[in-house]
Amino acid sequence: MGFMDTLNIFLKPNSSGNATALTVLCPIINRVVDGRSSADIVRERCLRLPIHEKSPLAKVPNTYLARIFILDNVFYESLPGSDSIFNFSEITSIFSDKSRIGALPQKDQLKSKYLVFSSNFHGDLDAYLRGMWDKWSYDDNGQQRDVRYIWENCVAFGGVTDSSSFISYMKRCQLNSALFFNGSTDDSLQEQLKALYLKQEFSKFAAAHQGESAADLQQAFKVFIEQVQPSNLSGPSWEPGQSKP
Amino acid sequence: MSNIAGKAYAMNVITPIPWYKAWLNWVIFKAALLVPNVLNGLLTLSLIHYARWVIIPKGKFPHLDASQPKEELKYSYMLFFSNFNGSWDQYVDSFTFAIPSGLDLFWKMNVRYPKSVPLTPFHNYIQHNQIDTSHYYNAYPMAASNDVKSAKNVKKALIDFNSASANKDPDEFLKDYHNLLNQLQHDFGEMRPTPIVSLAAQAVKERYSAEH
Amino acid sequence: MTQNLDLTDIQGNIVKAYGSFGFFKARYLFLRVDNGDKGRDFVAKIASKVTSAERWNKDSAPSVTTNMAFTYSGLQALELPTASLVGFPADFVMGMSKRKAILGDDGPSDPEHWDKIWQETVHIWISINGKTVEDIEGRYQWIMQQIDASGGVALLKGHRGEDAFGNPSDDLPYQEASILYEENGSPSSKEHFGYTDGIGDPVFEGQTNNEKRVIGRGKLTREGGWVPLATGEFILGHVDEAMEYPQTAPRPDLLSNNGTYMVYRKLHENVGTFNKFLDEQSKVFPGGKELLAAKFSGRWRDNGAPLVHTPDEASKAEWDKKYAAADVSTQKRMLTDFTYNEDIEGAKCPLSAHTRRINPRGSLEYGVKDAFNTPGALVNRRRILRRGLPYGKVKDQASDDGNHGIIFMALNADIKRQFEFVQQQWINYANDFKQGNDKEVLLGNHDAEQPGKVVFEVEPGSGKPPHFVNNIPRLVETRGGDYFFVPSITALKMIAGGIIDPT
Repeated sequence: MGFMDTLNIFLKPNSSGNATALTVLCPIINRVVDGRSSADIVRERCLRLPIHEKSPLAKVPNTYLARIFILDNVFYESLPGSDSIFNFSEITSIFSDKSRIGALPQKDQLKSKYLVFSSNFHGDLDAYLRGMWDKWSYDDNGQQRDVRYIWENCVAFGGVTDSSSFISYMKRCQLNSALFFNGSTDDSLQEQLKALYLKQEFSKFAAAHQGESAADLQQAFKVFIEQVQPSNLSGPSWEPGQSKP
Repeated sequence: MSNIAGKAYAMNVITPIPWYKAWLNWVIFKAALLVPNVLNGLLTLSLIHYARWVIIPKGKFPHLDASQPKEELKYSYMLFFSNFNGSWDQYVDSFTFAIPSGLDLFWKMNVRYPKSVPLTPFHNYIQHNQIDTSHYYNAYPMAASNDVKSAKNVKKALIDFNSASANKDPDEFLKDYHNLLNQLQHDFGEMRPTPIVSLAAQAVKERYSAEH
Repeated sequence: MTQNLDLTDIQGNIVKAYGSFGFFKARYLFLRVDNGDKGRDFVAKIASKVTSAERWNKDSAPSVTTNMAFTYSGLQALELPTASLVGFPADFVMGMSKRKAILGDDGPSDPEHWDKIWQETVHIWISINGKTVEDIEGRYQWIMQQIDASGGVALLKGHRGEDAFGNPSDDLPYQEASILYEENGSPSSKEHFGYTDGIGDPVFEGQTNNEKRVIGRGKLTREGGWVPLATGEFILGHVDEAMEYPQTAPRPDLLSNNGTYMVYRKLHENVGTFNKFLDEQSKVFPGGKELLAAKFSGRWRDNGAPLVHTPDEASKAEWDKKYAAADVSTQKRMLTDFTYNEDIEGAKCPLSAHTRRINPRGSLEYGVKDAFNTPGALVNRRRILRRGLPYGKVKDQASDDGNHGIIFMALNADIKRQFEFVQQQWINYANDFKQGNDKEVLLGNHDAEQPGKVVFEVEPGSGKPPHFVNNIPRLVETRGGDYFFVPSITALKMIAGGIIDPT
């Protein structure tokens, strides 16, 4: 591993090559509107987001995989104890009930609920967030919605009026990765989609033209290249979120 | 709507960890990135697109203005997000069997973490601490992580071949073409929609498709 | 062996593949329970003749065997308490036809095309295995007497096959099965496509005292040896490969211990389509028809020689010579003692070959040294015991019509994790083999509208292109089946006695 790679493990914890991890926890305003809590409103809006090619994230450039959920509260660890790590409480618990009870996991509570957005994408964070502000869009029963529709119930989001303030807002909510594992590539989404398209088409080509004469094959190959345009990322390709062949 | 988007599954796990151990855990994560062998097993499994662990020290939940009460927590928290291929069972099973010590290394300081073997207590730990996704987006629902990596090979090889050999004499072309296919022989799997790993998810999907 | 099993408590069909003991014929009966009390009395009667897994020597082997199993509805009809019933796993409770989306039983394999009997609710399965049809007939008559006398159970009809006069019928009272015979009349272990079957069945702890049998059939160790699989992978109440007791065991222990789950599937073989496909594909495959057939399966048709050791005609000829000269024990070893370690690329045995897909051995480590805890980490929990037999005779090799195929029975502690997983993830899909959605040739549910293909790999760097097998037709169709619970002998008697109580 090179020196810069090693340094980047600490300096750029959210990067793996050109792949970036974004984790944001946005506190949701604690209020009730028309008998519904803001958190429930946000949750419902998220649950109704259209999926695959119709998802608003399909329009946000360079999004590989991303998810949204509501963090209602932390969990209480009502699970069996383990016999692996020795604690002194294991001895004191025998003699003192208070000690035994004290050694149980503690109950913790969150005071706010959080909108959790976790995205894996290619490239620079600011560019990505700008893309979210500018391009996030979907059809909600005839109405076009932008990114504010999901975020507008979050604390202090009222101050977000443009891409610049959106970027600052999201950075205030951002958490760093302790370990970002990249099990795939760090190419741009366009590259990935083009490559997938080529893999699919070339596999079909290779299977279909098995056993042909050299001249026929070469001819067919040239036609194939003209059709698929391998180096042209804007040429024929898979669409983001494409769910059918 | 679901934890599944095409061939990928979104797992979200949040677990408490005593604040004084959270720092040690952070060091362990960084060490894992520095010593590549630790992640060898994960890479060979090749089920994962992207995954991450995030440590939230107990005072560091985002606090944006005075109207928001400040969190007063007893524990720090670890968040785990994974995008993997296959069903939940297959994923958790494969970790328990393929890299049990690696898992233990990352989670063992968390409160009430059982070891990763035997299986069911570990299943229960993950399930207990898992939060369901409200919206999951996958830019390539028909492609597994293996397919994305394989596609990269194909694109490069195809472009290189085209510039080097497309205009050679037919016999030379054919020879080079055979070499190309030989080189890419493990990259020709066809990509179609995912097998149905969950009947419940499938039923929801069918109702959704009927409505849209 | 490190484990002693209560062989007298375990049903014999779990531990033994009767076919290899000379029980060449079988008959499978399916019953419905109409009255709880009378149903239980009937079970008690049959239980008195159920064959256990006790070891046989030359003199003690019976001439006929009987075993019994139940569907979830069957256990309900026999009035097992709710507190026990809720402990059964969802896959068993739903039954096989409701799981068709997971299994890929679509198109011609859809339950709507299954034998009539499967439109009914099946409760009880009874098997009779014998050396001859006469042996079977004797036991069958006895069972029929019990059914008649019971007044509370009925034998279900509706199997497709040939009646006593050789005429096709779709209303037969039982399913016949039998090994196939060579042209000279000697027994063969072939099935209707011509493949030698029944090799490589898993070996688990406590099953056999013969250590040689484990080679190639247990799980791989890091040092390259073989040890038996954990008993709990195949029998409830014993520790499994995850170092715990199978979680699919309902309460009380006496109900589930020494029992297991059985997948019963009647698979029709499209012999005509297969022969035509093989002939057509041989014209474009460099290597000849038998090598092509071997590549579909991972073993040569005639004697089951594993492709990893016999990747071409020359090495096959060598192997055949050794095999012919070897004693029975060495022959068995030659058939099963191999890994894919020297063939990670698949040039010898394709990654889509049947035997490689259903049992990848250590190859999912892809040659990366010590990547996993053990080379079989992703495989050891996906094994199944196979206990079936072929059925029917092929009258016309050029036709798909007729009644001929395999009665496939798989035994495992966890239907979803073992059988269903292999069927869905490794036969009808291929991500673990890095082959996208390419289905296994022989058993895959190939799509008639958009048929798929597989790739046969070649030596890397050899300059040769891989071979594509295109437009694969559906070669096997599901004609019926269900999921059954095979109780221990103790549990059978308790079910019969109505004394199951999980309090």
